[in-house]
Amino acid sequence: MSLKARIATVFDEPACPTNREKSETVRKKGCSKPLTPGAAAGGCAFDGAKIVLQPVTDVAHLIHGPLACEGNSWDNRHAASSGSDLWRRSFTTDLSELDIVMGNGEKKLFKAIRTIVERHDPPAVFVYSTCVTALIGDDITAVCKRAGERFGRPVIPVEAPGFVGSKNLGNRLAGQTLLDHIIGTVEPDDVTPYDVNILGEYNLVGEFWFVKPLLEELGIRLRAVIPGDARYRDIATAHRAKANMMVCSSALINLARGMQERWGIPYFEGSFYGISDTSAAIRGICGLLVETGAPAELLDRAEALIAREEAIAWQRIAPLKPRLAGKRVLLNTGGVKSWSVVNALQEAGMEVIRTSIKKSTEEDKARALAALKDEKHLFDRLAPREIYRMLADGEADIMLSGGRTQFIALKAKTPWLDVNQERHHPYAGYEGIVELLKRIDLAVNSPVFPALRAPTPWDEEGRLLEGADRPAEVTPTFRKFANGVLEDADDC
Amino acid sequence: MPQSAEKILDHGPLFREPEYQEMFARKKACDGAASFDATALQGEYTKGWEYREKNFAREALVINPAKACQPLGAVFAAAGFEKTMSFVHGSQGCAAYFRSHLSRHFKEPCTAVSSSMTEDAAVFGGLNNMIDGLANCYSLYQPKMIAVSTTCMAEVIGDDLHGFIGNAKAKGSVPEDFDVPFAHTPSFVGSHIDGYDNSIRGILEHFWKDSPTVAGSSETINIVPGFDGFCVGNNRELARILGLMGVSYTFIGDAADQFDTPSDGEYRMYDGGTTIDELKAAKGAKATVALQHWNSRKTLDYAASVGQETASFHYPLGIRATDELLMKVSALSGKAIPEALRLERGRLVDAMADSQAYLHGKRYAIFGDPDFVQAMARFILETGGEPVHCLSTNGGKEWAEDMQKLFDGSPFGKDCKAHEHKDLWHLRSLLFTEPVDFVVGNSHGKYLERDTKTPLIRLTFPIFDRHHHHRFPVIGYQGGLRVLTTLLDKMFDKLDAETNISGETDISFDLTR
Repeated sequence: MSLKARIATVFDEPACPTNREKSETVRKKGCSKPLTPGAAAGGCAFDGAKIVLQPVTDVAHLIHGPLACEGNSWDNRHAASSGSDLWRRSFTTDLSELDIVMGNGEKKLFKAIRTIVERHDPPAVFVYSTCVTALIGDDITAVCKRAGERFGRPVIPVEAPGFVGSKNLGNRLAGQTLLDHIIGTVEPDDVTPYDVNILGEYNLVGEFWFVKPLLEELGIRLRAVIPGDARYRDIATAHRAKANMMVCSSALINLARGMQERWGIPYFEGSFYGISDTSAAIRGICGLLVETGAPAELLDRAEALIAREEAIAWQRIAPLKPRLAGKRVLLNTGGVKSWSVVNALQEAGMEVIRTSIKKSTEEDKARALAALKDEKHLFDRLAPREIYRMLADGEADIMLSGGRTQFIALKAKTPWLDVNQERHHPYAGYEGIVELLKRIDLAVNSPVFPALRAPTPWDEEGRLLEGADRPAEVTPTFRKFANGVLEDADDC
Repeated sequence: MPQSAEKILDHGPLFREPEYQEMFARKKACDGAASFDATALQGEYTKGWEYREKNFAREALVINPAKACQPLGAVFAAAGFEKTMSFVHGSQGCAAYFRSHLSRHFKEPCTAVSSSMTEDAAVFGGLNNMIDGLANCYSLYQPKMIAVSTTCMAEVIGDDLHGFIGNAKAKGSVPEDFDVPFAHTPSFVGSHIDGYDNSIRGILEHFWKDSPTVAGSSETINIVPGFDGFCVGNNRELARILGLMGVSYTFIGDAADQFDTPSDGEYRMYDGGTTIDELKAAKGAKATVALQHWNSRKTLDYAASVGQETASFHYPLGIRATDELLMKVSALSGKAIPEALRLERGRLVDAMADSQAYLHGKRYAIFGDPDFVQAMARFILETGGEPVHCLSTNGGKEWAEDMQKLFDGSPFGKDCKAHEHKDLWHLRSLLFTEPVDFVVGNSHGKYLERDTKTPLIRLTFPIFDRHHHHRFPVIGYQGGLRVLTTLLDKMFDKLDAETNISGETDISFDLTR
């Protein structure tokens, strides 16, 4: 199938309500928002594909292209592995000018695969195309096929060169790759009625390990967590799971729907952020398992576990609540977190003044709306300038967002906490919410921010202010926002 | 034998070879030393609360003091003046200690002479040693000034420096009009910071006593830096700041060049420093400002007694402390604080905000001279850290009260305590019973780091086992940035070290922090 056709397939997503409402012609155009030349923006399709697949731990990820596609994205996310660290190795064919002019790309790629197989003997090699290799027409699918036969193991082409579109498109192309090439290629001999997959869970900072023991305690077998801490074989056998839980639906909805179509695996969307969402997720998994044939007593055991864990979590949150109650939060993330984190924060007595719903599906939006009651609290996309204004005017006590918008908050002298992929603390599950609230406490109550907001104790001419010897309390003095400066700080 | 010509082992690995280990074991058996287990058991006991209480009840014994003696401060003070030789009246060994102490820290030669008193001098008095010593020093080293201080020996027998120097001049050791300021600096009183204070006061008195110059006749401000192992970086930074403000100033002692001579083929016994003319003119200054209050109390009293305004700080490090210094200098001089400094301030605050997630809630122990501990504690409170144990062997009751005020002024100070007149063995008990994340101090803290596994951050004199730290400032906004970076580097190193065993702990071994 040509790349164009593959992209069209990815866009034709019957499980997506937005897509369902479109006319046939509009649907053909696809749903990726047109990129805006000249505007600062997030990553490309290659980046998106790599984000989804890279956490597969025992696989060698080989980037076919010039050095920097891999160099710039090497090890930039903190997914965690419980075993192999091969996924953190940086493999690239490092195409140079001569390779491109002479058309040596395919040969070099084949050799690179050979070297990887000889030195690291991975169960599979993922080969990613990039702008350059796609432009010069390297047929990575053919090379992968040949290499797979020659070296006796799957060599998977991931065709998502950067120029085809946005990061989100790359996510979906990666999901399609899993469906087309990997899932269902190995038959497991150990299927139980308790097998589930978790889709779109990245195990950032190992946070899924806060949840995993709970599921295992209930006797639930995690057939595959895709992609967090996954092994190739886990994914290849994922089609024998009885149920799927979809965590990040905007990235991998096509995967969940595809698995339902091909193997009849039912799925639901859930989240492990927050106490009630974690409980709902556990109930959801057990519910689907019982529907597909697991004994009904599983539900009772789940309820007992939920009651126990919730009690512990509430007990641990209690001392933090007085420090956090009433704090106003601007949530500038997206996707599943637009609602799941809202609930988590509300549980601790905080007020979410607004949440962004960019990259959120219609269902995400509905959930966010349910949590926040009023449309005015939702925004599709806030311009950096507007975020700056809100924070500078003191409309929020803290912003939770990704790394790219952190400087808007910091320059507006407002506490900020990373809740996106570059963070260093696990927030999932009952344990994770306690950690999240602890981190918010540390940020929102840091004395650095009063120091930031305190005016310099002398005036513009450098003359000492009357009585400014020791400003006892914090007076917010915000400087004007210089035109356009922060546009580059846009989130992806 | 473990040693072979192909691969010569250094002493570290060599002594771990089985031959040596056997030898050590035999030696231990021969000595009748306690068994490994018994030693370990006793070691374990010293980590508990019971031992801590006994430790703090200690009256007669000091273990691992974090201070030095007065003449060290005097030798340091003398290094801040142009072509000045430090002359320690007393025993030779003491002077050798001061030289090596300063040399090991600054990685620079340090010259000081002594009057080499011996047993007969102790019996008959040290006058002859003073007469010969000054004569030799004057002719051997051609100084412009000889600054005299004393060791215990001269103080115990009660040598009178004023009389002795007069006698020596009468005997022609040095010309009658040659400057020989002096200070009594008994080691058994106070510490090096008092020796510094006494010495600077002695030098000022020498030049100002009979001078007709009237205080306040010039717009200049005198700066007394205090005993500062980071004088090389700090004095230059302060000079830059004052230059930006356009303030006229005189350092009363500036050892920056003396302890940072370039390698260009010329050996400089003396370099830089405050000149005698500047010192004389300094009496006309309108104010004398001390950067380290506890280092300069007598000096400030004297400056006030000649009619100068005085002000003192506690080692201006961090935001508020630097603000206060600039504002005081601005108020005294009438000069505005320039935009460049406001930007520097903003950059420091910005850097602190960038890293606040790592800084907030960290617990520290700080030890060192009282002004340093005060400064460091204040900065750590600004970052959201908790300076839980603040210990100063040469800090007194007043200092502890000041510290308590500092703690009371911040929500992060509520679990913090200042320990005056306590030593590093006390700190060891504190670290075992109430652990902290980091110890801030000097090289002597490395044994604490070894015993308690608490990472040591070296930020004050003496730093013997790391090089060149003193060349970079720690005061002012720029200095604050450097201190901040030093704290963060240690935090990140620790974080990486805790996550760097491949396949075992490296789950959070992250590229980006």
